[in-house]
Amino acid sequence: MTKKNDGDILKRNGPSVHSSNPCFSRREFLFMGGIIFTAATASQCWSSGNSSLIIIEQANGLVVGDPSKCVGCRRCELACSEFNDGKASPVISRIKISRNLNPWISNPGVKQFGPGTFGNGLVIQDLCKQCPHPVPCANACPHNAIVLAPNTKARVVDSAKCVGCKICQRACPWDMISFDPDTNRATKCFLCNGNPKCVAACPAEALKYVPWCDLTKIERPRISPNTFISPSKASTCIECH
Amino acid sequence: MANYGGWVGKTLRVDLSNGNISIENTLEKYKDYLGGTGIGYKVLWDEVPAGTQPFDPVNRIVFGVGPLAGTGAPCNGRTAITTLWPTCWPKSLVASGHMGGNFAAELKYAGFDAIIIYGKADQPVWLCILDGKAEIRDARNLWGEGIRRTSMEISRQMGPRASVAAIGQAGENLVPMSVVINSHSHSAGGVGSVMGSKNLKAIGVLGTGSIRIAGNKEEWEKAVNYHLSLLGANNQHVVPDSPQKWSEYYGPTRWVASPGRRWGAASSSIDTGSCDPHNLNRIAYRTNNAAFFLGERAWKYTVRGNGCSSCPIRCHTILKVPSVSSKYGIPEIGQNTCVGMLFGRNFFRSFPDGPKGETSIEACMVGMSLADDLGIWDNYGQMQRDFQELYYSGILKEKVGSKEFKSYSWDEYEKGSPNFLFKLLRGIALKRDELTTALGMGTGYHLERWGIPEKDWQERPELSYWKMGHPRHHSSEEAGQTGVIINTQYNRDSQCHSHTNFIRNGLPLHVQKQIAVDIWGSTDAIDAMSAYSPMNVYKAKMAKWSILRKELHDSLSICNWMGPWIASPLKEHNYKGDDSVESLLYSLATGNPKSREELDKDSERIFVLHRALTIRDMQTSDMRTKHDTVPKWIFKDQAGKPPFSSGSSAMDPDDIKLAMDMFYSEMGWDLETGAPRTETYQKLGLQDVADVFDRNGLAVG
Ligand code: SF4
Ligand code: SF4
Ligand code: SF4
Repeated sequence: MTKKNDGDILKRNGPSVHSSNPCFSRREFLFMGGIIFTAATASQCWSSGNSSLIIIEQANGLVVGDPSKCVGCRRCELACSEFNDGKASPVISRIKISRNLNPWISNPGVKQFGPGTFGNGLVIQDLCKQCPHPVPCANACPHNAIVLAPNTKARVVDSAKCVGCKICQRACPWDMISFDPDTNRATKCFLCNGNPKCVAACPAEALKYVPWCDLTKIERPRISPNTFISPSKASTCIECH
Repeated sequence: MANYGGWVGKTLRVDLSNGNISIENTLEKYKDYLGGTGIGYKVLWDEVPAGTQPFDPVNRIVFGVGPLAGTGAPCNGRTAITTLWPTCWPKSLVASGHMGGNFAAELKYAGFDAIIIYGKADQPVWLCILDGKAEIRDARNLWGEGIRRTSMEISRQMGPRASVAAIGQAGENLVPMSVVINSHSHSAGGVGSVMGSKNLKAIGVLGTGSIRIAGNKEEWEKAVNYHLSLLGANNQHVVPDSPQKWSEYYGPTRWVASPGRRWGAASSSIDTGSCDPHNLNRIAYRTNNAAFFLGERAWKYTVRGNGCSSCPIRCHTILKVPSVSSKYGIPEIGQNTCVGMLFGRNFFRSFPDGPKGETSIEACMVGMSLADDLGIWDNYGQMQRDFQELYYSGILKEKVGSKEFKSYSWDEYEKGSPNFLFKLLRGIALKRDELTTALGMGTGYHLERWGIPEKDWQERPELSYWKMGHPRHHSSEEAGQTGVIINTQYNRDSQCHSHTNFIRNGLPLHVQKQIAVDIWGSTDAIDAMSAYSPMNVYKAKMAKWSILRKELHDSLSICNWMGPWIASPLKEHNYKGDDSVESLLYSLATGNPKSREELDKDSERIFVLHRALTIRDMQTSDMRTKHDTVPKWIFKDQAGKPPFSSGSSAMDPDDIKLAMDMFYSEMGWDLETGAPRTETYQKLGLQDVADVFDRNGLAVG
């Protein structure tokens, strides 16, 4: 049963496949959340009726990078975009290397010898933290398009719901939402349904897929995010808070 | 026109004289030439009249990349830059330089397969290419700056992801021995001054676009992983240089990883460890060219491997040597590969602490820091060999006059002090005096200026000089007659690695010979290094194949310093690689299926067009005696052993004549002149070349 449902959502989360399934009902959501979610309901919030869903569950895993091993080859970005989307495009890659390859040269905030090829040589891999509740990108989405993947519990863009407004992009403190100009949809790390392509592609063992841990308190934000919560979500929040 | 993947479909055309910028369809015009050097040669044929000089505004400089650049096909980072070569002596002819880094990929993401630049701006400019659009911008405030600062200034304006290809003071001052550099230290030799002559300081590219893979994405993933599984270390060396548990063989290769050898200057030191070839997640640890070229001492200074976009090999090692910052006032971090890394060291005959001591590493750091900022080229180490020879023979002193001679600290030089490099290299970039002006001209023009006959250089094996101002690049010392043939064909050093990457891959001869049967038809195609057999037709086949693969790689944008991949580290495959991996990747990426043979034909068209350009611009079809010449030193063995004896690298004059005969006949060219025949041009779809030669009397029937 879970399998069948997984297949469904995986299709929906595939980066270029549009879903015909308009939205999750509360029943579907509970169903997908499965046992863990049901067990957690006593202390967790969710939406009722037609109001918005809030992601409560934590992801099962996330990809982490070791900058001291990164050799700046960008193979992870290419694997992410080619093997998932059929095109080479660092800009839509959900792991971000290119923007950190050259260092302090164009980042006025960083003085002197920062990381990067023109600096101390370190290349820092930017990766999605699969944030815990409240998930900034998901909560910002006025169209409820950032949802939970059943298998990995990754926070993923449902391309059938996304309208390409880019509000989520401004909400992620780590600037980890990509935008695909060809599909006019946002896209973000969906952990490749449990087999991260970037990890498999890295020639320097610089990436790992590990059980989820909370990096949001540790890693400094990259941008000042818009702390926007869509009104429909805000009304759901009130149910618990 | 079909909707192809791989190519992004547009070529940018910039006339700096009037500021006109236009865009043309790559595929309509250049599909038969693939990209890279193919586009470069085609543009020079169509648009640059015979007799043009490199610094004439009508000369084109073509930055070409191919359908695989910017994709995940392994090792696709090289941009081919084709133009009339300023150091080609006694007359400038067509040639290309190749830079790695991130420029090739970024150009594709910005929406272009090539940039064709001509004319001359009336004041310094830089070219800003941003997502399908280009703009000529004022560079007056960048003129006079080094490459690093120029790159930083432009990146500040364009954004951190921009890739900037810039010239330094050497290129500005029209020093022929100058480079263009992108991504900190990835250079293409020889072309800096051509940019300088156009008042073009730099090109910045930035794109948010994508390159479509036409084939099914699962198949593409499989193909890419398959190609990765065949990869060795740098230069496609497929066995390690020291005994490893997983390895049957070891040999003197660039596969230097081993447990205990560590990237000592990484922020937390990293063991390169065991690099079993089946573990594709450790490919990046196999190579450390600093350790390969500078010795064991370099490990402790190694920060990491760096290199081109998409390449897992990382031949461009980053070193951190803290002492150089206080001692010489240069950044403690430097990076490069091969002759770029050895730039400073190679000027010196000896160092106080030996050839691989601390001082030699400091000399490398000083050399890289200066040369890659001033933008000086060393012509595959020829500049340094010339310098040493001219100094120690006393010619230098005689030619520069005593006042100038005394202005240099020769004591410091003889002692091997890296401090000596500052005055010398800055002088070259500024053409400050007689010595530096002469060195900056390139060997051919330098010798002419100082009244030294070229043949004096061609008699001396230790000078490695070949012809036309340029040195040998993997010739008879490694690959006997095959190496000699390849080195006769170009207008600069041949830059071909197809043959040497196989010969030096570390496999024992009997294993190599089994692979040779598959590729060239006989075990006789190859010999042990310096134990050569007389010429045979299989060596000619190997020479032809090597050249065509070089042109194929330079046109598709895959790295001929890494390919071809006919051998692999896989014992279970008897160490065989795959001769068709280029066709597999090309077909899937573009959606234009082509067999290995069809791509071979494309590369032959490209190479023969290079030949035609050489004939047209030399105004003679007699390539055999006027162009395809060999230096006398190849007929001498340093220990005086005769040709074809064990341990001798000497060639035999009659045997080399036969070698050229066999090569010409493999190519289907005229034996007497070594020129392609009219029917060869026709067969390759080069009717326009045949027509031109028919009219101007250069045709060979
Ligand atoms: S995209 Fe950003 S906000 Fe959303 S889960 Fe990832 S890191 Fe968190
Ligand atoms: S896990 Fe998959 S989607 Fe996420 S960054 Fe890696 S390759 Fe991209
Ligand atoms: S594939 Fe690995 S080494 Fe290469 S850029 Fe990505 S994280 Fe760095």
